[in-house]
Amino acid sequence: MPDWLAMHRTMKLIRGFEEAVRGLAAGGAVPGLVHLCSGQEATNLGVIAALAPTDLIASHHRGHGHCLAKGAAPDLLLAEILGRAPGICGGRSGSMHVIDLAHGNLGTNGIVGGGVPLALGAALAARNRGDGQVSVCFFGDGALNQGLVHECMNMAAIWKLPVVFVCENNGYGEFTALEDVTAGADLLARGQVFGIPSGMVDGMDLRAVYAAASVSVARARAGEGPGFLICNTWRFSGHHVGDKQDYKDDDATRAWLEKDPIPRHAALLRHEGASDADLAAIDTEIDGVIRAAVSFARAAPPPEANQMRMHVHG
Amino acid sequence: MFMAEPRVIDFRTAVIEALADAMRTDRNVVVIGEDVGAAGGVFKQTEGLFAEFGAHRVIDTPISESGAFGMAVGAAMAGLRPVFEVMFGDFMTLVMDQLVNQAAKVRYMSNGAACVPLVLRTTMGVGAGLGPQHSQGFAAWAAHVPGLKIAIPSCPEDAKGLFAAAIADDDPVLVFEDRALYASRGPVPPGRHVVPLGVAVTRRPGRDLTIVAIGRMVGIALDAAGKLAEEGIEAEVIDPRTIVPLDVSTILASVRRTSRALVLDAAPRRFGVTAEIAAVIQEQAFDWLDAPVGRLGAADVPVPVAHSLEQLIIPDVATVVAAARDLVRGNGE
Amino acid sequence: MTEQQEKSWKFLESMLLMRRFEEAVAQLSVQKEFAGHFHLYIGQEATGAAAMAALESRDHVATTHRNHGHLVARGADPGAALAEILGRETGLCGGRGGTLHLTDPSLGFLSTSAVVGGAISLAVGGGYACKQRRDGSITAAFFGDGALEEGIAFEALNLASLWQLPVVFICENNSQDAWGVAKGGFPTLVHAAGDLRSIPGAVGIPAQRVDGTDTDDVHNAVARAVARARDGGGPSFIEAMTRRWAGSAPLWPELSTGVTDLRMATGEVPIEPGPHHDWYARHDPVLRLARTLLATRGDAAGRLRTLDRAITARIEAARQFAVDSPRAAAAAALDHVFA
Repeated sequence: MPDWLAMHRTMKLIRGFEEAVRGLAAGGAVPGLVHLCSGQEATNLGVIAALAPTDLIASHHRGHGHCLAKGAAPDLLLAEILGRAPGICGGRSGSMHVIDLAHGNLGTNGIVGGGVPLALGAALAARNRGDGQVSVCFFGDGALNQGLVHECMNMAAIWKLPVVFVCENNGYGEFTALEDVTAGADLLARGQVFGIPSGMVDGMDLRAVYAAASVSVARARAGEGPGFLICNTWRFSGHHVGDKQDYKDDDATRAWLEKDPIPRHAALLRHEGASDADLAAIDTEIDGVIRAAVSFARAAPPPEANQMRMHVHG
Repeated sequence: MFMAEPRVIDFRTAVIEALADAMRTDRNVVVIGEDVGAAGGVFKQTEGLFAEFGAHRVIDTPISESGAFGMAVGAAMAGLRPVFEVMFGDFMTLVMDQLVNQAAKVRYMSNGAACVPLVLRTTMGVGAGLGPQHSQGFAAWAAHVPGLKIAIPSCPEDAKGLFAAAIADDDPVLVFEDRALYASRGPVPPGRHVVPLGVAVTRRPGRDLTIVAIGRMVGIALDAAGKLAEEGIEAEVIDPRTIVPLDVSTILASVRRTSRALVLDAAPRRFGVTAEIAAVIQEQAFDWLDAPVGRLGAADVPVPVAHSLEQLIIPDVATVVAAARDLVRGNGE
Repeated sequence: MTEQQEKSWKFLESMLLMRRFEEAVAQLSVQKEFAGHFHLYIGQEATGAAAMAALESRDHVATTHRNHGHLVARGADPGAALAEILGRETGLCGGRGGTLHLTDPSLGFLSTSAVVGGAISLAVGGGYACKQRRDGSITAAFFGDGALEEGIAFEALNLASLWQLPVVFICENNSQDAWGVAKGGFPTLVHAAGDLRSIPGAVGIPAQRVDGTDTDDVHNAVARAVARARDGGGPSFIEAMTRRWAGSAPLWPELSTGVTDLRMATGEVPIEPGPHHDWYARHDPVLRLARTLLATRGDAAGRLRTLDRAITARIEAARQFAVDSPRAAAAAALDHVFA
């Protein structure tokens, strides 16, 4: 029986973390661009919770939620995003290149679709070892039009590799709506073409995502080959912090806000017997964790100059 | 003491020996590419491996270079040691993103925690009439990307040795093989044989000028040196063997003795590998030079199919001799 | 002589021209008149002839490394085409492109890419230009089944569908009974999609399959697709199935079925039992169409003989022209890198 309360806590952690990042970015503390996943927590966590700790993921540019769900320490992740020395990658990678193999994370990625072949390769290694490890790659609806994804699905299918392709469909590739760039009425066809079992799920429903992902992961682990899961979700923020989101329809935005996965799940928990006090305790604890992370990251030193030339080669 | 006859084999076979030896020693070494498995390679360059190691370790991919190479990168991050073949060097353009934006940068981006121990082997070579999309080698492009290592063997012995070093290296290493050298024969030690990356070799000693030659140009340089000797010019021929990291000290030590340098490559001259080597020589051995550093490369044009044009692309022995003579005798243009 | 039969005679003429051209190329290779790898269109002539007949001169064509048939069927001068393959100055591209890159912009060909999948994306560009011009012109893309393994094919199909571009995608699937891994040869199709039509289908492009050795089947499908595209109805995908010709099985093509003997169609010469019996008896599209026309009234046999004699003479003249042409001159080696 999954620990729904613990998973609820993780969703709150992700939400709180992203809000903290937004504030830091607005205040100029974040180098470069940063992409927030608020609203997509159920998708991020629902899939990752279905994995074993030894399974691997490959993420994308909107990947803080994946990192946290996979077990990254919030303070070290935040320090990385701020480009500080104690960050997960020594501050050199920032938000878009967080590689955290200690937690089975092949990395967030600055190239659309860039993580998909990495997960495919990890699945190849797993097949050769025969140890049942599963890999998951996350990509957005925009990446569905990358030929690279098509190639990787084909190879996963012909070799029956243990990889699950998860499309976090939030309806937009940067500032462009899905339907303006994606031909074909049925997105699932893009996986079905290869004979890959493909399903679509409400990405704002934590438990639905978890159930669907569990099926795909179990199949992959049993050697039955890849799966394709489309999670319909919404990003509450812009493409990046600073994006004014003029391209979004106001009515749609309102409708999606009402589907916020966190209050929805809170209601479910209450229905199952959780008390207001239980939920408030989570809020308090997460608040503390986020505050500590922010203090830690803000105070963390930048990397020394001598770090620049290190780790180019082994 | 009984001295065994040196064993002479061809370049292609030497590489297969290196691959087979590595694959027997380490089950994480896999070969990935198009037609590398059941067919043994379109140039027969992986012959025998599929029969010995099977489909899980010698993997035939669809025509999906981009996805397949990205897969190799991910596999390397996850513990395998892939040798990925790009059939023709020209198709490196199709793997560029995964090579440049992923493979080259993973170690750096992860602050040393992750690495990509893979080898990208590819063929190149003007002269077979294969035309502009099947003749190129992009060593210069790859050399320009921090994080990648590059080796260019000129003979069977080094082909075997450099491949062994490349496979053992925990960084992404590109090995460029000139198809014109595939049938070339030479002595090759049996068993495990490693030529370390970053170590140049002096192919021929000489006191009058230093010729730094890459890949197939080594043979041409040696032929030219033979002709120059008849004129009383003794050329020293250095084969860097690895482009990144480049054995600068061996090259500079030679130039400090000869005072003249000529750099040769079979890839387009403009902005090429020769430009980097020439720049390094003039930066660090300027006071020893008696003449500007000379460079010869392929013509800066797409490679034409017509034989009458194609044969003009690469500098030949006569061109090298003339350039060397000019440098030494100072005859000007 | 019915209109249908006249149409078929025109197809056969085009197919014979392609067939004798490819036989000349094979022989020139054996004679070492040119180096480099090459690809022959033998076995696929029905598709090329019928498809080209459905296009107009204002249309664009994109083709691949297996392009000789397409150029010849579209009307390229066989002499200039052979000269190109031989690297001569008089070639379609001055000898620079050779067999892999035969093209003729005056006939509407875009650049011919020998990188698998290259033709498809260029064709989408051609389609985009046609749409911008609003003159009813369309672009035809010829490519093989292997091209669908390349991600760029998928991207191109998505764009063509999204923007409803006037492109007719003609996939020449010669992998039926192919000498794949199972037979110790090169795999010719490594795709998880059981049915290649599902790929364009996934992006909403209507797709159909035709017998690539049946000129009427091909022509009807292509003509309909072309009309749709001209009318603003968007792209179509046609999968033309052919068997892989035995001569393409080895790494280097061989004329393993020999110079085509039309008497195997007239019956003057028996078809010997042997590895190529089925090819001669059933699968060779040239012999098949010849047999169909020989069954019509009138002196079809005579007409066939006359036609083949004329075509053979034409190709022989082309071959001689190519062989006699001067090699591309060194002075021109650096031309046309830039304008």
